[in-house]
Amino acid sequence: MVTSITAIFGLAAVIGGASGDLSVEEIVKRTNHAAYYQGNNGRARVSMVITDGQGRKRERELSILRYDAPGPDGEQKFYLYFHAPADVARMTFLVHKHLDRDDDRWLYIPALDLVKRIAATDKRTSFVGSDFLYEDVSGRQLDQDHHELLKTTENFYLLKHTPKDPDSVKFAHYTMWIHKKSFLPTKVEYSDASGEVYRVMTVGRVETIDGKPTVLEATMEDRRTGSRTVLTYKDPAYDIGVPERVFTERYLRRAPVKYLK
Amino acid sequence: MITSTVLLLLLALLPTLSADRFPYLHPVSIDTDPENMLPADEPVRVAHNASKKQFSLHDGIVVGIVNETHPRGVFNVSTLTKVDEITRFAMELEGVVEVDVMSLSTVDSISQAGPGTVRFQWLMAKPPADQAEADDIRSRAMRIPFLRDTLFSADGKALALYIPLRNKNDAHEISVALQSKIDAIGSGDDGFHIAGLPVAEDTFGSEMFIQMAIAAPAAMLVIFLLMWFFFGNLLVILSPMIVAVIAALSTMGLLIVTGNTIHIMSSMIPIFIMPIAVLDAIHIISDFFDRYQHYRDRRKTLVKVLGDLFQPMLFTSLTTTAGFASLALTPIPPVQIFGLFVGFGVLLAWFWTITFIPSFLMLIPEARLEKFGRKERTGDGDSHDDGVALFLARSTSRGAPLIIAGAVLLTAIAFLGISKIEVNDNPTRWFEPDHPIRIADRTMNSHFGGTYNAYLSLKYSPPPYDPDSFAEGLAEKAQRMEEALSAAAEAVQQHLNSLDRGTILDLLDEIDRFVRQRRLSSESAPKRGAWTTLEGWLDWAFASAEDDETPPADGRSELKETLASAAAEMREASSRYRSIVEEVAGQAPETSDDFLAALSLEIETISTSEDRWRVVGTMLSSVQQEKQAFKDPLLLGWVSELQEFIGQHPVVGKSNSLADIVKTVHRDLTSGSEVDYLIPSHRDTVAQTLEQFLSGHRKDDLWHFVTPSFEEAMVWVQLKSGDNRDMQDVVAHLSGYLEGHPPPVDLDEPQWFGLTYINVVWQQKMVSGMIDAFLGSFIVVLTMMTFLFRSISWGILSMLPLTITVALIYGMIGLLGKDYDMPVAVLSSLSLGLAIDYAIHFLARARQLHRELGDWDRAREAVFGEPARAIGRNIIVVGLGFLPLILAPLVPYQTVGYLIASILLLAGGVSLVLLPALMTIGQRWFFAGDADGSGVPEEAPAGSKE
Repeated sequence: MVTSITAIFGLAAVIGGASGDLSVEEIVKRTNHAAYYQGNNGRARVSMVITDGQGRKRERELSILRYDAPGPDGEQKFYLYFHAPADVARMTFLVHKHLDRDDDRWLYIPALDLVKRIAATDKRTSFVGSDFLYEDVSGRQLDQDHHELLKTTENFYLLKHTPKDPDSVKFAHYTMWIHKKSFLPTKVEYSDASGEVYRVMTVGRVETIDGKPTVLEATMEDRRTGSRTVLTYKDPAYDIGVPERVFTERYLRRAPVKYLK
Repeated sequence: MITSTVLLLLLALLPTLSADRFPYLHPVSIDTDPENMLPADEPVRVAHNASKKQFSLHDGIVVGIVNETHPRGVFNVSTLTKVDEITRFAMELEGVVEVDVMSLSTVDSISQAGPGTVRFQWLMAKPPADQAEADDIRSRAMRIPFLRDTLFSADGKALALYIPLRNKNDAHEISVALQSKIDAIGSGDDGFHIAGLPVAEDTFGSEMFIQMAIAAPAAMLVIFLLMWFFFGNLLVILSPMIVAVIAALSTMGLLIVTGNTIHIMSSMIPIFIMPIAVLDAIHIISDFFDRYQHYRDRRKTLVKVLGDLFQPMLFTSLTTTAGFASLALTPIPPVQIFGLFVGFGVLLAWFWTITFIPSFLMLIPEARLEKFGRKERTGDGDSHDDGVALFLARSTSRGAPLIIAGAVLLTAIAFLGISKIEVNDNPTRWFEPDHPIRIADRTMNSHFGGTYNAYLSLKYSPPPYDPDSFAEGLAEKAQRMEEALSAAAEAVQQHLNSLDRGTILDLLDEIDRFVRQRRLSSESAPKRGAWTTLEGWLDWAFASAEDDETPPADGRSELKETLASAAAEMREASSRYRSIVEEVAGQAPETSDDFLAALSLEIETISTSEDRWRVVGTMLSSVQQEKQAFKDPLLLGWVSELQEFIGQHPVVGKSNSLADIVKTVHRDLTSGSEVDYLIPSHRDTVAQTLEQFLSGHRKDDLWHFVTPSFEEAMVWVQLKSGDNRDMQDVVAHLSGYLEGHPPPVDLDEPQWFGLTYINVVWQQKMVSGMIDAFLGSFIVVLTMMTFLFRSISWGILSMLPLTITVALIYGMIGLLGKDYDMPVAVLSSLSLGLAIDYAIHFLARARQLHRELGDWDRAREAVFGEPARAIGRNIIVVGLGFLPLILAPLVPYQTVGYLIASILLLAGGVSLVLLPALMTIGQRWFFAGDADGSGVPEEAPAGSKE
């Protein structure tokens, strides 16, 4: 699955790449690239506003670093650092994303000066208390779904994705509007078994950064709870030269301040 | 009469059967919500609803599953598979709050997975494949104190499914769907129980109809048969039946047409109207019966009968109406409606009785009355009731002192009983003990912490604000932070001195360890903050050291220098911060929030991304977070202790709060063993612990226990009993505790909410309201009686039967240990209505006969003729007539059945025995005025009557 947090890191899928008749597989591949793999590495400062069904707000501010293993779109590493609120500041997360097995995840809790490895059995837990799921952020593996091109409009592809193992997830399927030129998903809707859409991701603002179309604002709405989370990206940057060593346990305790902004 | 009734019924039925066509009319609406015992704008109820919204709580259905046979209890493959299937089924039902469904399948577990690894997973992602997997689920579940005794029993024999509903009116439909799902799966060796207040309410609604459709008609049938037995003429006794039914139906019709709901109270309106309606009619019929053979002329007989009865009947109806209408003084809307409509029905019944019954009797051909009525008296004691009457007449004369003494004694015992009255109610107990709802209630409460929920809401109370002292506080904090920072930097300098000269990176590693260790061992917040700030500085020091291609030869001096200048910069920033605080205070912001907003704006305009401002940012946000009281470990510890105390109460099975979440997550983030099941001692640890909970599958569960601002929190108390008495006791238990254990942070007065508590509030209002209403109507009726008899002493005399009846009824309730609940409470009004009726009839006729006969001894014998017989027939017909209510499926109706019979018996008995005895003893007083035709002198000592 695709969303925006990582969308900022990608290289624009082949500029003007939308040639006439792409296969579904090709669209899916390019979308995956645009959403998660732009550039070899990147950084963004994210401000997160979670507004619950009663209009009560919570705010979070964090930085995300990304590093892609050389080669085709595959293994990736992420580093997350909390700036605010003050009582969770300096908390960090590290993710080694794998395609063939469960991701490796670590967590640093500064108040206890504790590094913990996280063994999670699924990726559908909340991403730092927001309405985004961990899977939205790290990406859903392409081979977990059947993909189907529902229609092509002047500017968009409409794709439908149906999980191969329906028991592993809550949704029955999800649809995705993909911008033809940038291959960025602009709206994703998750439907339950009765066909009702219960989660919606929409992209609010896209800008071209370093020649790459980049999402600057994305919203996830949970229609069952009425809660919504708006992510705003400040100062996204690509190919900042963040070294692979930053994505190790040692840096969980010691923030790589130079690369965080 | 028929027309108006039919019209009312049509107005009520048409919109019910076809709502679209009659949009301006009110359809029948059933209201079984106990919350409606309080007006919608009642502060307690408003607060209850606000808190429910605040913590996103919904009323719901609870499905209990019990397995007593499997050695592993419910933790076996078959049961867990069923649970999973039912959970998934429930989550897809329309109207279910899917995200809040609680079951083994929908909750998270955190556990240790090897050293340094913590595992987040669904407690039961899918049904277990074998017993080993089921055992694993069991052992992980048992480790979550939060769920134990709430979601499953500690003995592993039972588990529960909580299915919250968007709208509790869907409870019936959803429970039916669940039941059919359970039936389809097959229960096997598992026992399934569907419970929860919404289900009880719904069931109650349907049983209410059964009662109205069966019990009330059955009562009418018995009354009918008894009247037939007494008067022997089918045609004649048809008239009271018609009057009673018409009065009841019209009143119910009017109730519906005026848009009122059918409620537990209003459903009893027919039952109250019918005996009272029959009462008046029986007086007429009885008198008519006794006299017809004397006159053998319908018209003459009726003129005589109505001449005698018109005034007493008017007064009995007015007093009864006054008794019921006084219920409008209670603060409970359903009781008000009940009182007003019964009052209306009584007047209606009176009107039809004096108009319809005579007309009806006139229409009966004389031929059919040939054999009707009592034969002329031929001698003494030739019939059974004559014998009784004569016996009463004589014994009340001879035994008067004894009777009065007995009455005084009984009243004294009654008051002893009244002092023992226990006010209590519990909607679940409105069902009979073998009702499935009661069975579910018993079963689940024996396995779990309790199915009755009460919630305690706790709210942070910020200190009073004024800009100057607020600024002072901020400056003081900054000052302390600065001092702590200086001390910390100094400590690092000294530590550096103690180290060998080495490369910067090595030294940094060493300092890093030192700073971290010092931070963790610091107790005070400013010290911890200072060390954290130094860690921030270390991040930068590391970064520049890593980049430095030509590291300095003397790393130590270099580091000492950078640290010194960083510390100086931070101090400078802090002092700048203090002067900004002063500046902002000069603008006199109106609230502390405004103050902080202005401050943060000011700081942003002058600060850049410079390091030194980090310290200021930290100071500011820590102040901003102070309002988040429920991250304060001291306060959480206080909540924990409070829970521990409240848990000692025998009715409290369990309580859950934010503190329990914090402890559980903390335990599993650290060692996973019980020693770490505690509230960590720092605010940031609490925050970071909760952050892990928020990263699970069920983040929103947190917001049931604390608001996102962390200013308000809730303690969920599970009670094993829904008795108001028990809830009240828990409330008292806690308030005593609170007095001796003030919270470490200022809180508003803790507030209870939840239906179990709401029940207590309306019950308290009901008790005091009923006393007011009863006293009010007592005074009104006494005034009316004084007016009717033109005499205070007669007025007081007429009040005696009802006073003693009410005293005896409530005394009996107290002595028997029957709870004083809602039906018992409103019965005082019925007692008043019925008892005064007998007294008026008896006294009015006694006085009249005394005037006619001029002598009390002869009058007494005469009054035990027709008048006493009418009263006697009344007692038997109406008293026995309402015994079928005992067969009603709901306990409140049974109570009414028993009590109506007792009231009639007592009121009648007291009227027929005590009144003549008193009049015999006090005949000089009572009849003093009659001799010369004037009223009784005012100086009659009122107190002497007692």
